[in-house]
Amino acid sequence: MGKFKNILMLDEKGEKGLRRAIIACTITSLSLMIPFFLTIQAFIEILKPLEGGEISWSKMWLIFSMGFGAFVVIFLFSKREYKSTYVNAYGQSEATRLQIADYMRKLPMSFFNAKDLSELSSNIMSDCSNIEQMLSSAIPQLAANIISSALVCLLLMFFDWRMALAVFISLPVAALIFWLSRKLQSKMFAGHVQAKLSAIKQSQEYLDGIKVIRSCGLGGSKFKKLDDAFLDLKRISLQVELVSGVAMSVSSIVLRAGVGIVAFVGVNLLSGGVIGFIPLLMFLLIATRVYAPILTVLTLLPDMLYLQISTQRLRTLMGSAPMEGSREKPVENYEIELRKVSFAYNDRNVLTNVSMIAREGQVTALVGPSGSGKSTIARLAARFWDAQCGEILVGGINIKEVDPEHLMKHISFVFQEVTLFNDTIAENIRLGKPAASDEEVKKAARLACCDEFIEKLPDAYQTVLGENGTTISGGERQRISIARALLKDAPIILLDEATSSLDPENEVLVQKALGRLIKGRTVLVIAHRLRTVSDADKIVVLSGGEIIEQGTHHHLLDSCSLYKRLWDLQQESGAWSVSP
Amino acid sequence: MTKSKSPKKKGGMARIFELAAERKGLLTLSGILSATAAIASFVPYIAIYLMIREIILVYPSFELLNRSAMTQYGLLALAGIAADVLCYLASSVCAHIVAFGTQYELKSNFTSHLARIPLGYHLKFGSGRLRKVIDEDIDKIESFLAHSFPDIVASFTAPVIMLVLMFVFDWRFGLAALLAVIVAFAMQMLTFGAAGLDLMTSMQKSMADMTGASVEYVRGMPVLKAFGRTASSFHQLRNAINTYTQFMLTYTLKWENYTAAFQTVANNAYLFILPVGILIGRSSQDYLTFAMTFIFYLLFAPSMASVLNKLMYVASSSMRISGGVANFDNMMSLQELSADSGGELPETNDVVFDSVSFSYDENGAAALTKVSFTAKAGEVTAIVGPSGSGKSTIAHLIPRFWDVSDGAVYLGGVNIRALSEEELMKRVSFVFQDVYLFGQSIKENIRMGSPDATDEDVIKASKAAQCDDFVMRLPKGYETVVGEDGVHLSGGERQRIAIARAIIQNAPVLVLDEATSFADPENERLIQQALSELIRNKTVIMIAHRLGTVLNANKIIVMENGMVSEYGTHDILMHRNGLYYKMWKNYTEAIHWRLGGGEEITVNG
Repeated sequence: MGKFKNILMLDEKGEKGLRRAIIACTITSLSLMIPFFLTIQAFIEILKPLEGGEISWSKMWLIFSMGFGAFVVIFLFSKREYKSTYVNAYGQSEATRLQIADYMRKLPMSFFNAKDLSELSSNIMSDCSNIEQMLSSAIPQLAANIISSALVCLLLMFFDWRMALAVFISLPVAALIFWLSRKLQSKMFAGHVQAKLSAIKQSQEYLDGIKVIRSCGLGGSKFKKLDDAFLDLKRISLQVELVSGVAMSVSSIVLRAGVGIVAFVGVNLLSGGVIGFIPLLMFLLIATRVYAPILTVLTLLPDMLYLQISTQRLRTLMGSAPMEGSREKPVENYEIELRKVSFAYNDRNVLTNVSMIAREGQVTALVGPSGSGKSTIARLAARFWDAQCGEILVGGINIKEVDPEHLMKHISFVFQEVTLFNDTIAENIRLGKPAASDEEVKKAARLACCDEFIEKLPDAYQTVLGENGTTISGGERQRISIARALLKDAPIILLDEATSSLDPENEVLVQKALGRLIKGRTVLVIAHRLRTVSDADKIVVLSGGEIIEQGTHHHLLDSCSLYKRLWDLQQESGAWSVSP
Repeated sequence: MTKSKSPKKKGGMARIFELAAERKGLLTLSGILSATAAIASFVPYIAIYLMIREIILVYPSFELLNRSAMTQYGLLALAGIAADVLCYLASSVCAHIVAFGTQYELKSNFTSHLARIPLGYHLKFGSGRLRKVIDEDIDKIESFLAHSFPDIVASFTAPVIMLVLMFVFDWRFGLAALLAVIVAFAMQMLTFGAAGLDLMTSMQKSMADMTGASVEYVRGMPVLKAFGRTASSFHQLRNAINTYTQFMLTYTLKWENYTAAFQTVANNAYLFILPVGILIGRSSQDYLTFAMTFIFYLLFAPSMASVLNKLMYVASSSMRISGGVANFDNMMSLQELSADSGGELPETNDVVFDSVSFSYDENGAAALTKVSFTAKAGEVTAIVGPSGSGKSTIAHLIPRFWDVSDGAVYLGGVNIRALSEEELMKRVSFVFQDVYLFGQSIKENIRMGSPDATDEDVIKASKAAQCDDFVMRLPKGYETVVGEDGVHLSGGERQRIAIARAIIQNAPVLVLDEATSFADPENERLIQQALSELIRNKTVIMIAHRLGTVLNANKIIVMENGMVSEYGTHDILMHRNGLYYKMWKNYTEAIHWRLGGGEEITVNG
């Protein structure tokens, strides 16, 4: 049960529910023994005249009425079984979904960079659906079938061991065949899953790269990788299905041969005078119905194999360490300091031994070639990730000791990739401060130069943006994100300068909004255009994850050759124009 | 939109058979084998009937039994089982071959179709929904052919055979058995009646809502964390999950009574036999035959349960499939871009927009209105304008990602709608700002521009596009697979790979959507060098986002609200004192801006 609980990600309640469902299922399948016993009674009665006796029709009617009573009981049991399995299954998958979602929000941001979005969402949804299905039908049935088959087996032994043997002799053989094929199957299942994933990945690439594919005239099967993936999937699927099909069919041939064996053995025992006709009929009756549930057990096992694979993914997710920290630590001032910080991402060193200070109320800029570690520093300061070595202090406190949500109260992060939600503009801005009044939202929007374009929208502030706000332009998105930060009014601003160039009018508006945002605050800016930050209080030059030099623009032009080269290059490329 | 187009389209199973038409023979064989298996599955029962007859005739003097006849009956039972399983196996093999063959074909057709429909549909449906057709809807069709079809044949044959047998042995018992089947069937019909199509649709909707909420939850995570809002957004997701669960519960519990009733009837079929036996037994002349038949029917009754159970299982699983075909057909019926090739080939490499109008939605606002201009061979024609003015739309009309609503685009005097895709792509190459690299080697990514290119060609193009240096520094050089081994390329590097692709494609017309992203200065310089190499001697149409880059263009077209506002060289436009002049002024202001200026403000309080 413990392992089961783990595979299915059951909580206490779910475990109890599952147990209840199994009991309900078992009771139902045991209650099906009543028709069996009544039928035997009818046999005894029918055979009486053949032995020289008299059939009692009133007893036959009694059997019928008892059967009718049992009918009602079985109906009630089936109803209870149905209800308890489904209520439990949906309740449990709901709990699992919530548990995963809740856990996910406490994971470091590194987790969200490593896994792609579709995989994460699929983790929550489809894996839970798989578990749901297992819980609602497969597992309770499986357990009930095993329990009731075992009980029937015991009962039969009690009647006549030779006949009981005849009924079950085929079972170990069938099970052995099945067990052997299972090993082969599970090996193939892995390959099958791989082929499926690769087909999914290739079709995703095909869809994502459709522009390139079309402009290169590589549509459909001309796109070799996709075609190969589909062909591969076709081949492997056929193999897997056939292997599991053959195993199942052979097992079932062996198992169901039991009916013939029972008839055969029974007739021999009968003519030898060892058993009577009634026991023979009884065993025949059993043989016609005992194999179906056992076959169900064999059929459901492959599903269980898949389940183990899919919950493995869930368990990996739940095994990633969440970020913790105290909510009590007061942050007294807003200086950001990195002390000998090193950080590796997927075994790749991103930062090595970085020490720097961003002083309160000043603008500190991070510059350097792409991949030099600029963005990582800002993300570490917001505790999106934790550094492996060294420490990061905000207001003198090591942020590893501060609860990430608590820390974020002091920080506004303005990303270059702006994420908008499928909600009204007003709510999208209000994200910065949930309690803000409509007036405050509008004021922030005005200061971020959003007001003008928002008023032009059909429902102004109440306009719903649609999925990820695709309806508004890049510059407008940036200004909304600045409005959010203005509303949040945090003392520290982490600014990832947008690399996108906007049309000049938008550019000017964004610049104006940014100027208002950073005034009087501690600003750490990841700069992509050196000119933008040439007035900064301090510029930190990074290369290959290390700090090369820090100082003001003029200081760096004299003392830092990398900075000088970057500056010159930028001047030069800024003056470039295509010429025919 | 697509419904009205194909009113006579078949739905559900009929449509699936149509899709599998190419493998009709094998599919029919599978059906026949499956029916044979179902018939064979009754052989053991006949054998047992024969045994009981022998026994009853000598009852209770068993020593008089004809042993060799009994052995034969025993073997008959075993043979029946063997035939059942073997036929089933063979049927399953046929069905799977049909299913996976069809699946591959449908996926292949569908992806080809996706390359021919206007790109607008890709944006409208999103990759998620299109992928769902590939990953789920087509798989449902496969699963129907592989599993449901043989099962349906078998589970409809079985009750028929069962009833035939029942009537052959004794019609009165047969009638009783038929009644049991009818009652069980009625319960099943009621189940599906209770489910209803409406409920099914709303179930799918609540599922979609939950998926949507979870995608938004994960996608927004960085922002939510930054604003400390994970808890509240978690509430939203929680609501969606709760709603879904509640819905599913109400939905499934609607079936509760019928499902339980079905199970109960199926397992108590003997209750239908029993009273009939009692009634006819009283007046029976030949008690021996009566007893034999009665016992046989009572013995037989439980196996009706498995036959009926299977029917129920099949019915519910084929219900799940029905949505798949409809989705697939809807997507397949999206109008492809036509190629009414007149065989005419362009003589020059001039690109002409002749009074082109276009809107993304049939009823939506016009993205372009009567746009006319000529981009001459060997010249650089730049298109500038505020965002949303229609610049990028112009770029997308040339490769026919969409077709114009009105007017025409000519290449060398030929309407591009009259050119085959192949001809058009031979003449025009594109560099888009959102560079997409495939999870393949760098070499293959560059070769995409010209699939027949040799390795030398690839390296030559790569050198010209200033890629060679950084590619050689990668762990496996040109064989490095993007995205694997922790290899991630910077934006500037990706841009240059895209340029290499275009260089190797070497088409006389080049459509260039300038990257809006600034790469770091070093990369920026290299991209510019690569571009200068690429555009030499070509008809260049450049969508420019930075005014500075088009200073020297032969012609600058200024777009505003989907219309050409003015055009000319930089100098001419500056003298006109119009939109371009204003933009240029803003531009110079923006590029001289520095972080740190601005007035003191407060928002709160």
